Amino acid sequence: MKRLFALLVVMALALTAVSAFAETKVNFFTGKIETIDLLNGIIDEFNAQNPGIVVEQEYQNDASNIIKVKFASDEVPDVMTTYEQEFVDQGKYMDISDVNEWWDRLIPSMRDSCTDLKTGKQYRICTNMTMAGFFYNKEIFAELGLTPATTWDEFVKNLEVIKEKKPDVVPWFIFGKEAWHLGHLIEFIPHGYLKQTLGALGCKTAMLNNESDKLNLGAADGCMAVFAQNMLDLQAKGLINEDVLTATGDNCTEAFVTGKAAMFSNGMWALSGILEANPEMADKLGFAPYPAYMPDSQPVVLCAEDSGYSISATTENVDAAKAFLTFLFSAENQKKYSESLGSPSAFKDVEAAWAPEGFAKEVSNVLNSAVNIGFTNEKPAGFSGDDAGRMVQDLLAGTYDAKGFAEAYEKAWNEGF
Amino acid sequence: MMRQENTTFRTFRVMTVILICLMCIIPFYILLVLSLNSPSRIYYEGNIFIPSFDWNNYITAWEKSRIGLAMINSGIITFGTLGLTIVLGGMAGYAIARHNTAYNKIVFSILIGCMMIPGIINTVPLYTLMRRIKAVNTLWGMILVCSALAMPSAVFIYTTFIRALPRELDEAAEVDGCTGFHAFWRIIFPILKPATASFVILNGFGVWNNYAQAVFFLQSRDKQNIPQALSVFFQQFGGAKWHLMASTAVIAIIPVIIIFLIFQRQFIEGLTEGAVKG
Amino acid sequence: MKIRKVNWTQFMSFPAILLYSIFFVYPLLKGIGMSLTDWDGMGTANFVGLSNFERFFQDKRAIGDIRTTLIFAAGSAVFLNLVGLGYALLMERPFHGRSAARVIIYLPAIISPLIMGYIWYFLLQPGRGFLYHAAEQLGTTFFLGKWMNDYPTTMTVLVFVNVWQYAGMTMIIYLAGLKNISTDILEAAIVDGAGSWQRFTRVTLPLLMPAIRINVVTNIIGSLSVFDVIMSLTEGGPGYATESLSIYIMRMCYGSRTGYSTAVAMILFFIILIPVLISLYLTKEKSDA
Repeated sequence: MKRLFALLVVMALALTAVSAFAETKVNFFTGKIETIDLLNGIIDEFNAQNPGIVVEQEYQNDASNIIKVKFASDEVPDVMTTYEQEFVDQGKYMDISDVNEWWDRLIPSMRDSCTDLKTGKQYRICTNMTMAGFFYNKEIFAELGLTPATTWDEFVKNLEVIKEKKPDVVPWFIFGKEAWHLGHLIEFIPHGYLKQTLGALGCKTAMLNNESDKLNLGAADGCMAVFAQNMLDLQAKGLINEDVLTATGDNCTEAFVTGKAAMFSNGMWALSGILEANPEMADKLGFAPYPAYMPDSQPVVLCAEDSGYSISATTENVDAAKAFLTFLFSAENQKKYSESLGSPSAFKDVEAAWAPEGFAKEVSNVLNSAVNIGFTNEKPAGFSGDDAGRMVQDLLAGTYDAKGFAEAYEKAWNEGF
Repeated sequence: MMRQENTTFRTFRVMTVILICLMCIIPFYILLVLSLNSPSRIYYEGNIFIPSFDWNNYITAWEKSRIGLAMINSGIITFGTLGLTIVLGGMAGYAIARHNTAYNKIVFSILIGCMMIPGIINTVPLYTLMRRIKAVNTLWGMILVCSALAMPSAVFIYTTFIRALPRELDEAAEVDGCTGFHAFWRIIFPILKPATASFVILNGFGVWNNYAQAVFFLQSRDKQNIPQALSVFFQQFGGAKWHLMASTAVIAIIPVIIIFLIFQRQFIEGLTEGAVKG
Repeated sequence: MKIRKVNWTQFMSFPAILLYSIFFVYPLLKGIGMSLTDWDGMGTANFVGLSNFERFFQDKRAIGDIRTTLIFAAGSAVFLNLVGLGYALLMERPFHGRSAARVIIYLPAIISPLIMGYIWYFLLQPGRGFLYHAAEQLGTTFFLGKWMNDYPTTMTVLVFVNVWQYAGMTMIIYLAGLKNISTDILEAAIVDGAGSWQRFTRVTLPLLMPAIRINVVTNIIGSLSVFDVIMSLTEGGPGYATESLSIYIMRMCYGSRTGYSTAVAMILFFIILIPVLISLYLTKEKSDA
């Protein structure tokens, strides 16, 4: 009996000793497939330089859903790229407002994008920017003497010219099988209008508090109804692809790189796929803002935060997590990251060749001339971007007229709260 | 005498089989074509039936997806799950088929009833449980979860097949000195091969291709199974590197086909001759 | 006097139900309680009584989903069985390449669902798919140009694809069932002067009852909880037109309506239960030989 006890004591001591020397493990949870290899390289380097800390990357294709289960069962990663307003509200993320060595290097507007409206604090930091607008084929535009439109009338006229002069080219390719794509159209065009008229902050507040008099989503002459009517008109005139409801993103890329589609709406994340499918597109690629479509609106372009990182509020490895992020945010690593992801850095001291030179220039011109809007993080939790996209599918399938669409949208929006 | 068939009928039958096979091979053929296409290939230009024979896809796919390790993991999980469910499910099937007691009726009802409930609603409680018993990121944990999921199907198949067996078999076993459990193992179980084969074929590939549970319970890269290895080629906003995904899928399907061929030789082809006469 | 011993073999079902209870029933019971709450997947859950169920029956989308699920299941459960039985009867007699044929028929069911969806869409995409282009070479495109614009055609295609993919599974069970029918009995029937149709209906079919039972029940459950095939071809769209209840449950569960999704799962359970009980009853007597 004594022996057994002694053995147990020795074992317990040994265990304590081992755990005292054990490495600090930092779990890094990400849903970003594009940079998985690059990040593994950076992590290996960090682990080699910092004995005692081991960072482990966990990639999940379905990260935004899986993180919910993890939170629900209290198994929270130390560092994560998934960020949602409802997690912020529940205090799941650590306040990183005071980590000045990061914020001092960040472009101020990007810090604003990372700020939580309710508390005025930052619970995540974004290392990159992404833009979305219309990608167009410069060659086709030059041949027909067109310039990118700034108003909706010009936009429609451009599409009409393309259709008339080049009947086998789809003027505007929409890949509506993928609900997120149609959701993005809502996000950039009608929501974009709200963001520019109410101001970024004003719009966020109005959405957060669901001030329906300001949002005016259901009105017959409001931003939703006009948007819906415009889409129906384009469809009726044959200015978008006939198979809008069944076309996929791959179809869009294919049509665009073979000159069978003149333009499409998407974000910078589409760039690498286009260049991979046809490297010659590098010189033909143009970028344009979303045209003004309401009486009092201006052209808009999405310029939003990308690659955000948050630290868990309950992590025991705060220092290790911060050390890892500081290492990841170094100018050298961010240059690599930016070039591999194909999106410009949000750090002031990072000079990266993230896109073909001519195209990058065009993007920066658009950013300077059009109103910059961000993503809506304040949407109701029960009404996702994909849900909105499926409503547009219904619209294009003939389920709604424009007025009916606006009303249904407002209803779904309110129910989502 | 009855084996004779008239020639027109025979030709018709063979033609039908060929037609069905053609239809069933199309998806697999598409998979092969995709796996050999280069990323820049535009599908409908030129001949759609012939790929661009980009064998590098297989090398890239093998390296990037770590499909080799994933196949070992999937193999262990599938083997463990099937072994456990066949033994436990077979025993349960025997008890339920031969002893129509209230207890067994309840067991059967629970199993069949739960088959009809979508598993998604127990995700969070199950995950919490698995964490508490430290089974997340372990192959044995995954085996237990998959076994539980496959159990109703195993019990249902075995019960149904055993009920169709004449009771004289049990009695014969008892005369030979085997009782209860032994009778089951020595006499009944061996002649249940068609049932076992059916179960393996119905559920084996589901376990091999399990994604819904794997995303939660096999998070670490070293424990990932085949669908997770495939999912590496999905991109965030739509699209995916389909050519690499297809090559990975082709690699992952080869052992399945080999095993299938072995199973069908061993189990379905005439092994039961003479054992059971309905 | 003989002392009656308890027959322990009747408890051979215990290990199976133990494992099942721990890893399925226990989490399920914890989960089911959520159907009476407004739980959003995190945070606290408030008891809301039966209002989740009330809400379900007032939701037009949910009612449409029930319709889609039932139509799909009716088509798919019937045709999976008919086609699977047909395949099995074709494959029963030996011929050259029979083993290969069985593997090939089963092939669509073993490709990983992750990529199978892409393959189906690649084959069937309206106006762009492989089959559309192949048909174009023949000079006609049949219905392949626009099939997704029209509900009945879409549902037909969905059922067709499901049968295409899974009939091999049904076939395997029927083959195993046919193995259990001895040639003696069939030959005896011939001696009695029974024609081939009579042999089939009077001898083969009744003896095939266990296999029929397994297939009918499995296919009813599988078809009513359809997810993969619809997700890959239409994603339930356009809009929610071809959404099935399983897809609805998944979307609600991850759309911050976890409590509600649990309630819908309970409703789906009852929708499945009724036809399963009926088919268990109809196939019962004969299988209890």
